Amino acid sequence: MLEPVELKDFFIVFFSGAMVIMAGALYALLFAWSRLQSKPWMMSLAYLSYIILFVAVMTLGSAAHLTGFWWWLVIAMLLGYLLAPHGIWKLCVATHAVKQGSEHKTTDTTCTNIP
Amino acid sequence: MSTVQLNGGQQLAMKYYTVAIALFVAQILFGLLSGMQYLIPGFLQGVLDFNVTRTVHINAMIIWLLYGFIGSVYWLLEEESQTKIVGLKLGNFAFWLFTVAVVIVVVVFLVVQTGPGDDFTRWFVNEGREYIEAPRWADIGIVICVLIFFYNVAATFMKGQWSGISGVLTLDLVALAGIYLAGMFYTTNISVDQYWWWWVIHLWVEATWEVLVGCLMAWGLMKTLGVSRKIVTTWLYIEVALMFGSGILGLGHHYFWIGTPEYWLTIGGFFSALEPIPLVAMVVHAVYDSGVKHMKANNNPAFAWLIAHAFGNFFGAGVWGFMHTLPQINLYTHGTQWSASHGHLAFFGAYATIVIAMIYIALREVRGQQSFGADLPDGGWKWKWALGLLNLGVVGMSIALLISGYEQSFIERAVGGSTWLGYFTAQIHPWFVQGMWWRMVFGFVTAFGIILLVWDLLTIGKHNKPSAEVISPTQTASV
Repeated sequence: MLEPVELKDFFIVFFSGAMVIMAGALYALLFAWSRLQSKPWMMSLAYLSYIILFVAVMTLGSAAHLTGFWWWLVIAMLLGYLLAPHGIWKLCVATHAVKQGSEHKTTDTTCTNIP
Repeated sequence: MSTVQLNGGQQLAMKYYTVAIALFVAQILFGLLSGMQYLIPGFLQGVLDFNVTRTVHINAMIIWLLYGFIGSVYWLLEEESQTKIVGLKLGNFAFWLFTVAVVIVVVVFLVVQTGPGDDFTRWFVNEGREYIEAPRWADIGIVICVLIFFYNVAATFMKGQWSGISGVLTLDLVALAGIYLAGMFYTTNISVDQYWWWWVIHLWVEATWEVLVGCLMAWGLMKTLGVSRKIVTTWLYIEVALMFGSGILGLGHHYFWIGTPEYWLTIGGFFSALEPIPLVAMVVHAVYDSGVKHMKANNNPAFAWLIAHAFGNFFGAGVWGFMHTLPQINLYTHGTQWSASHGHLAFFGAYATIVIAMIYIALREVRGQQSFGADLPDGGWKWKWALGLLNLGVVGMSIALLISGYEQSFIERAVGGSTWLGYFTAQIHPWFVQGMWWRMVFGFVTAFGIILLVWDLLTIGKHNKPSAEVISPTQTASV
């Protein structure tokens, strides 16, 4: 069920694990920043980050013996991190798409009633 | 400091903040003592043993953060509900009850350091559960205080107006109070005991506390950047869904090695892998809003600490957590300095930062709605240096502990097979010892940071003229 990491792969597991999150965040950040600033060239860097993420996930999967059920975790990570920035961006745009003047001020007394 | 212009909830909040900062100082002081005892084992031996200094260090951290959270909720309560606080006298009584209990517990920890492990000890000296060592009488006192706090919050919102933030906050406080009960009953089976103990530790820290700081972050963004209520509320719902969706079953990563069934390896591994997702979303959202608002804030120290929170939470909880959360590697790392490294960075990055930000938001009103911007008489050097030193100190400590933890995992666990020989071989290895020395160096950097922070909190905005700049949501750039 569970095959521990080998000694020679210790550092590889830690480093690739960190790179999964770092590259995932960088991909999401560059994706959002590229759209926000209308800089298409930055989108290339975003997808380059995703490629680094892909390599990091595969390296982690290999070094940590992520086989069987754990292989699905690898697939979920790759798909999740690929699609998440698109979803986050859509949410950002949707939540910011409010007409001027319809927003509450910080000290606005108008609050949403919870049903 | 004068609090005459503040509402009842805000005056109570200032009391909580005062004790929180005092306990923060105590936490760092006892942290320095504990770190020194790692390097010089005979230091204070028989006077203040390591188990005592470490207990006070960790308990002070948990309690000062709780004081900070409770204070922050009291601070925003009347403004958010648009009505006077319900049961303020009871709230003040709970504050003093809580504070007296904390003082007595700390004094007993320091005075009664040894004794039998019997019922009297559990009720009046030390319960013995790591991180929640408070004796049973204090546990009951804490529950009473939290129930009063919950009554203040729920009754005030019921009397006044509900909002998205207040709804999430009130529901979260039910969990915050209820889960504490899981650490309050005695069992003779260590696996069962650990099973329930993690309900308090993990579900507090990685579920209810994260949601609570999500509420504070939402409110903080409205106050400092002028982000609209609709935006922060929508994002709060998204983050809460992601936090609870991943954080509750992420509990499994603590169940790997305590004698629970094997399926926890699968559940814990999978949901722990999901836990960084809300943190990534929070960072992107913070960057998005900062970009839209062109980083224009009315309270620079608060805004800087909110940014430190977004990134600190991401690195401390996300990166440092995921590096050793899968069971294939956690087998070697759990309970080593690797966990301590993750703990230091995550607690500071996710929680200490947001409490400090909230205190700066409060101080701006305490000092007469002054702008805490570039117009501060001293240029704001104290808050900038405090921010820099505290962050540098904690990051430095975390990296030093990471190196020691890596060596421990490798030599003690993987090579030595978790034997006593492996343990002592790892403890005297140069990498471990050097890591501990560097932790001490950065511990002093952190201590200088807290001195500057306290100095700044006592003086900021006292000598400049009122010139509050109102940041309104209508200044939002079109997207």
